Amino acid sequence: MDDIPGKITWNDCVTGSYRRLSVRLERSLGRVSPGQFVMVKIPDRDVFLRRPFSIYDSRGRTLTIVYRVVGKGTDALSAAARGTPLMVLGPLGRGFTPGKATTPIVVAGGIGYAGVRMLLKRLDHRATLFFGATGKDELRLAEDLGATRVLASTMDGSFGFAGDVVSLLGHHLDDYRDKKPEVFACGPSGMVRSLKALLEPGRIPCQVSVEERMACGMGLCFGCVVATADETNPYKRVCKEGPVFSLWDLSL
Amino acid sequence: MGSLAVELFGKTLKNPVMNASGTLGYGVEIEPLWAVETMGAYVTKGLSAAPHHGNPTPRVWEERCGMLNSIGLQNVGVERFFSHYFPFFVERRCPVVVNFFGFSEEEYLSCAKTIEPHDLIVALEMNLSCPNIKKGGISFGKEASAVHAIVRSVREVTKIPLIAKLTPEVKNLVEIARAAYEGGADGLTLINTIPAAVVDVKDRRVSLKGGLSGPLLKPIALRAVHECSQAVPIPIIGVGGITNAEDALAFLMAGARAVQVGCATFVDPFAMPKIIAGLDSWLDASGLAGISAIVGAAHG
Repeated sequence: MDDIPGKITWNDCVTGSYRRLSVRLERSLGRVSPGQFVMVKIPDRDVFLRRPFSIYDSRGRTLTIVYRVVGKGTDALSAAARGTPLMVLGPLGRGFTPGKATTPIVVAGGIGYAGVRMLLKRLDHRATLFFGATGKDELRLAEDLGATRVLASTMDGSFGFAGDVVSLLGHHLDDYRDKKPEVFACGPSGMVRSLKALLEPGRIPCQVSVEERMACGMGLCFGCVVATADETNPYKRVCKEGPVFSLWDLSL
Repeated sequence: MGSLAVELFGKTLKNPVMNASGTLGYGVEIEPLWAVETMGAYVTKGLSAAPHHGNPTPRVWEERCGMLNSIGLQNVGVERFFSHYFPFFVERRCPVVVNFFGFSEEEYLSCAKTIEPHDLIVALEMNLSCPNIKKGGISFGKEASAVHAIVRSVREVTKIPLIAKLTPEVKNLVEIARAAYEGGADGLTLINTIPAAVVDVKDRRVSLKGGLSGPLLKPIALRAVHECSQAVPIPIIGVGGITNAEDALAFLMAGARAVQVGCATFVDPFAMPKIIAGLDSWLDASGLAGISAIVGAAHG
């Protein structure tokens, strides 16, 4: 973990409100495990706290994130021009830990794709991505996956399966019955809840990346907790003990 | 070269900079970036006799010049802190200020009694902003008589120097400071966060009620330090919106013997080492023998 100065080299629209940002850092982030994140100091005086972003890609001294403009912080970030200096703290948190002898199923909803993209790259063609989007345009996010098998759903039915991504996965779950499936997920809380309902009967192993409002990003403030089934100490820090948790440890 | 060392309750701290309680976790979390013993002392997360789970989320909210928090005093409990985390500070020879709280007099007492004196424990810092459940939930720190009573009770059960951390949300803070001093406090920490709220206009509801901290607190805290440090003859630790060395100097000049840095660390995790280095450069340029020489320079 390090706090590294960098300069924006790319900050452009991917599709709709999704943007890709690349930063040339003074030093490399070092070893990154898929699912880890960074805290970015937004170059705007009105944005007090840093913002957490999944590491989309980290190669040498170039860090890439993909983000959706949803509020004050991301709005300000979207206005930052190439060459703008910013600070990046990371890599942070505990990422995904895929088993060696399992068949990986990756489930992403919308911007959740940014949270699993490094994992997909790491797993190469071994994984299948179930990608849930609102519409066809959002699928452009996952255009860079190469040989990885992608099954898509859209809520508006404009491409692939019409409906939500967990229902789509439900139609395919039987195919994995004797293949030791292991699920890796990142997406909105509704998606995670229905995923839990789907996987509950077989208690299929599932690691999920959780999102929460953060202040420090490194375990200092206890601001970003998630409720777990641990009765003696239910609230775990998303930034420190997470952001990836076993779905079966979470109390949803 | 002047010295940044300050005397606090008979102990020498290598510099006057500490973290504000609850803004540096259990201390170990900052280790990947810098060593805890860089600070004059580490202030623990608020500890209680029994562990506390804390509040559901959201617990934090950003404001333009600061943030609100409502963590709900989540902590592992005083016993677990001493068995699990304290040895780390002993190994590092890092002085510790033990912040603690209770929701009744009994809880304060039972927590304070648990803590054995140790050469690295500088003081106990009582959080007086907690609601007293037996008195209809009014905070201990709101009334001079209540402050006097709780400080006096705790004073009787521990030999460790006792700091009262005061809430600024009172009619007359100087009166409260005097009550804490007369109750037996050896020092004061000024100020705790200020009760505040955020309203989500889109959803037409309150997003979060919690304690406000950050740069916008600085002038409020400075006034509290300036006035209270001239009203009571005990050391004051100043806290509220300190972001850089100049802010820290302002607090020392206003009458603080030491300072605490809170959410500045969230914005820049190296804020404290930078403040310490900045104080050192300032001292060198000033030609003074020690940083203590400027404490209260802005009095009168």
